[in-house]
Amino acid sequence: MTERPESDALVLDAAEGISAEPITQWDLFVTRLRRHRLATIAFFYMAFIAYVALMAPLFTCEKNDVFCGRQPVSMSFVTTVIMLIIAAGSLYLTYRSFRSGLRGAGVALGAVGLVSVLFLVSSWGLVDIPHINHYADQLPDDSGRILVNIAPRGSLPLGTDDLGRDVLSRVIHGGRASLAVGIVVGSLVALLGTVVGSLAGYYPGVVDQSLMRFTDLMLGLPLLPVAIVVGRVLPELRFLPDFLKQGAWGIAVLLGVLVWGSLARIVRAEFLSLREKEFVEAARAAGANDRRIIFRHILPNAISPIIVQTTLVVGTAIIIEAALSFLGFGVRPPIPTWGGMASSGAAIAVRGFWWELVFSAGALISTVLAINFMGDGLRDALDPTQTIERK
Amino acid sequence: MAEHLLDVEDLRTYFSTEEGVVKAVDGVSFKVKAGERRGVVGESGCGKSVTAMSIMRLIEPPAGEIVTGTIQFDGRDLLKLSEAEMQDVRGGEIAMIFQDPMTALNPVYTIGDQLIETILLHQDVSKSEARNIAITALDDVQIPYAKNRMEDYPHQFSGGMRQRVMIAMGLSCEPKLLIADEPTTALDVTTQAQIMSLMLDLAEERNTAVLLITHDLGVVAGFCDTIQVMYAGTIVERGTGDEIFYNPQHPYTWGLLGSMTRLDESQQDRLNSVRGAPPSLIAPPRGCRFGPRCDFATDICREALPILHQSQEGQKVACHRASELDLKSLTVGVSS
Amino acid sequence: MTDTVPRAETDEAGALPEDVILRVNHLVKEFPINRGVFFKKQVGAVHAVSGVSFQVKRGETVGLVGESGCGKSTTARSILRLLEPTSGEVWFQGQSEDGTVDAPVDVAGADREILRNLRRELQIVFQDPYASLNPRMTVASIVAEPMTVHDIGTQADRLERVKHLLQIVGLSPEHTNRYPHEFSGGQRQRIGVARALALNPQFMVLDEPVSALDVSIQAQVLNLMQDLQDEFGLTYLFIAHDLSVVRHISDRVAVMYLGKIVEMTDRDALYDRPMHPYTHALLSAVPIPDPSIESTRKRIILEGDIPSPSSPPPGCRFNTRCPKAEAGKCDVEEPPLSELEPGHWVACHFPEVVQVV
Repeated sequence: MTERPESDALVLDAAEGISAEPITQWDLFVTRLRRHRLATIAFFYMAFIAYVALMAPLFTCEKNDVFCGRQPVSMSFVTTVIMLIIAAGSLYLTYRSFRSGLRGAGVALGAVGLVSVLFLVSSWGLVDIPHINHYADQLPDDSGRILVNIAPRGSLPLGTDDLGRDVLSRVIHGGRASLAVGIVVGSLVALLGTVVGSLAGYYPGVVDQSLMRFTDLMLGLPLLPVAIVVGRVLPELRFLPDFLKQGAWGIAVLLGVLVWGSLARIVRAEFLSLREKEFVEAARAAGANDRRIIFRHILPNAISPIIVQTTLVVGTAIIIEAALSFLGFGVRPPIPTWGGMASSGAAIAVRGFWWELVFSAGALISTVLAINFMGDGLRDALDPTQTIERK
Repeated sequence: MAEHLLDVEDLRTYFSTEEGVVKAVDGVSFKVKAGERRGVVGESGCGKSVTAMSIMRLIEPPAGEIVTGTIQFDGRDLLKLSEAEMQDVRGGEIAMIFQDPMTALNPVYTIGDQLIETILLHQDVSKSEARNIAITALDDVQIPYAKNRMEDYPHQFSGGMRQRVMIAMGLSCEPKLLIADEPTTALDVTTQAQIMSLMLDLAEERNTAVLLITHDLGVVAGFCDTIQVMYAGTIVERGTGDEIFYNPQHPYTWGLLGSMTRLDESQQDRLNSVRGAPPSLIAPPRGCRFGPRCDFATDICREALPILHQSQEGQKVACHRASELDLKSLTVGVSS
Repeated sequence: MTDTVPRAETDEAGALPEDVILRVNHLVKEFPINRGVFFKKQVGAVHAVSGVSFQVKRGETVGLVGESGCGKSTTARSILRLLEPTSGEVWFQGQSEDGTVDAPVDVAGADREILRNLRRELQIVFQDPYASLNPRMTVASIVAEPMTVHDIGTQADRLERVKHLLQIVGLSPEHTNRYPHEFSGGQRQRIGVARALALNPQFMVLDEPVSALDVSIQAQVLNLMQDLQDEFGLTYLFIAHDLSVVRHISDRVAVMYLGKIVEMTDRDALYDRPMHPYTHALLSAVPIPDPSIESTRKRIILEGDIPSPSSPPPGCRFNTRCPKAEAGKCDVEEPPLSELEPGHWVACHFPEVVQVV
């Protein structure tokens, strides 16, 4: 028998040709996401929508200023500059991480986090109406007449509505309501659905049964009627802070509390299958306690369905908010929302003034589509079975 | 009428992936006679299954593509047939049995329905005749109460029974060639014994040629007349069972045999394993593909890809040093 | 030779012979079959393991073989309390660093704290190298996990140990920051072995550690397991369905069928002088990579399939498929596992030595 080298390690490496640089989960994620072209476009589209919506006060103020010949309502100069820098910086970072497959999910998460925070901050504008409510201004022409139902043209690219308000600035401001709903519902659903689903999936028996029956109950609620009734009652509740009574926030919280059921079910199913996996058994054999198994082993592997389902729910919630506003039960006028605009736009569209309806509905549909594509892309990108493996 | 039932010449099947072109089958040539039982042996990723899929033309573009080669079957080049003509060949003249009988059967139709459908597709018979053929086929694979079990669904059968159904389905149209891709890998050893002896009986009785694709040298030993060993998309050695098992000429075959634990003897010492792991099929090593794992590799092995040639011992081997190596004297763990 | 007795009765804990590391007494594991949503009613049970007894001596390898559904993996998991055994005892008699034998502890009855400490001594290597490593953890955190859980050493100490362990199992210590998906099946199995070694256990369950691997890789891992046993004085319980692998690695072998041990003896005795009809069938079914042997071998082909463990047949559990079964005897009376030759235990009414290999 011939001599055989005993040091398997070196030989293994040579034969396998494992590259010097480790491929991180993040690299794989970005590679797979970029392969999904539609989702990549959707991401940039959503970044654009979010950016425009955040910056709404700037764009629309200036526009009105040019058009009406009045002094622009000034945001504080410093605030404006800071917001611009932060927003541009975060967008740039996101772009960078996409381009170069930048290591560390932290960078991109940081960017996304910044956008969210920024958005939340600037969305206070929805409440703080007096300063930036130019979308509510009726546009007079030189002779002082209100420009009602003007078709799109150079200086009014999306025309005006039946009260003479600029549709472009209202579409831009309307996006804030939809995105507020998106973010609030997204966070609430992710939180509630994950907690309920994890507990139910990890602790079989009484905990599972009672939580899941409660979830069934929530799923059984007829969403629209309940939202209409509660939405009607909300503004009357004295103890609620103002911002929940006006604008999209109250609706957003309400929807978030109502629609986490589907996610809870998915998370539970995911937990049920993951807790039987051998790597969980291995952790148990090492002596790991429940907390470690849940947070270190199961949850990280359940993260893809959580994110994906959350994006889907967000899309639905934005549509429901629009439907509520369309029906007149959502955000109150004069605060613009895409649903509300579609409603009033529909009323005048029959007379041939199609633009308010088309542009608001178009914004709504494209945004929901983009969110769903993002979900698709995320699902594929986060699916570990799509890893290109040596077999 | 050609001398050989199947004549594969310089087959190359490539898959394009993100990371590059995977040369899953890279220049494979072999011939199978009518009634011959050929074993195709190798480890995962050696291209044995892709070879079978290529013969069946089941490689799905755009991911995979048969780049070059001819596959003469019964005097026709399968690669030149239209898809419609190919559909007649599949399941008609060439049948295939897969590793997992559960996924190969449709869970929402009864066994009978699926058998009858296959038969109607390839034979010009009435529905009731097809039914009788189906029952006979189930009888042939020794499924008890075949008539009653026609109405059962796949999930009502055990794994071994399902594989019997697959064999029945494959043989119902009297194919000339049966391709069995790891037919017993998912089964327990006693069930494996049942299935293999059944396949042996049926194939001998009907003179059906069989291409048995497996990683298990033991299964091949009892079933096949001839064996080809594949490694990294190429055939490294081909010969009769005796030649391959008792006098392997290629260091990979030799190492594979040495890696095997044996039921009939107690080895206390370490197994004579092949070090390392199979190479990437995207950028295979220069020269001999087995070179980096081979204990006998010399400069020529690192330079030139050896071609399959006749060895002095009778079989064909793709090794530069086959004639000078005396593997037999080194053989550990293989009795003769 | 009575020291390998599968006792029916539990001895006093202290009565375990010194060289025994593990004794399993009448281990039973049943999975209840429930019906109803709120008011659960047990309508039956899957009898996965039905009274299994055996013992393992320090430093040896016991093979536990059987076909799928025979309960071998459930037995292993119940021994480690990865599943809660329904009844039975699992006595573990560890050894301190100075070589003195500790007092035996019943794993099956241990409370949380004791069990946690026992986990340092009892480890497991899993079958599927793809499922047994958390895809979202680095190799370093996977291998270090047992140390993290037991709060051993500082982060830097643990990293040092991980690198050392990777070297021991034949991987490069530079791989600590890689993720499992970058490794091949054989390499992943080595990572799993490194994790099991992290706490210096005395007893290891190897649950089909090579059955998912290619033949050449299988040989590498088997060699590794043997080297580790020599180096660290490990005791193995080797679970497998592949009888030739078991023959290669085991000192003693137990054959299971439908939740029970049907035959148990020394390795060579089992393969050369098997006495249980099921062992005969099993051994005759295993192919041997040798055409001339294969062409002359006679297979004992069993009729039918394994009965469902939720309704095992009465009497001998093998009687429905056994070529020797006699009505009125085998389907009524359960044969006890008895010692027919020194150290050779068989549960059959009509045992007979048949040479099948």
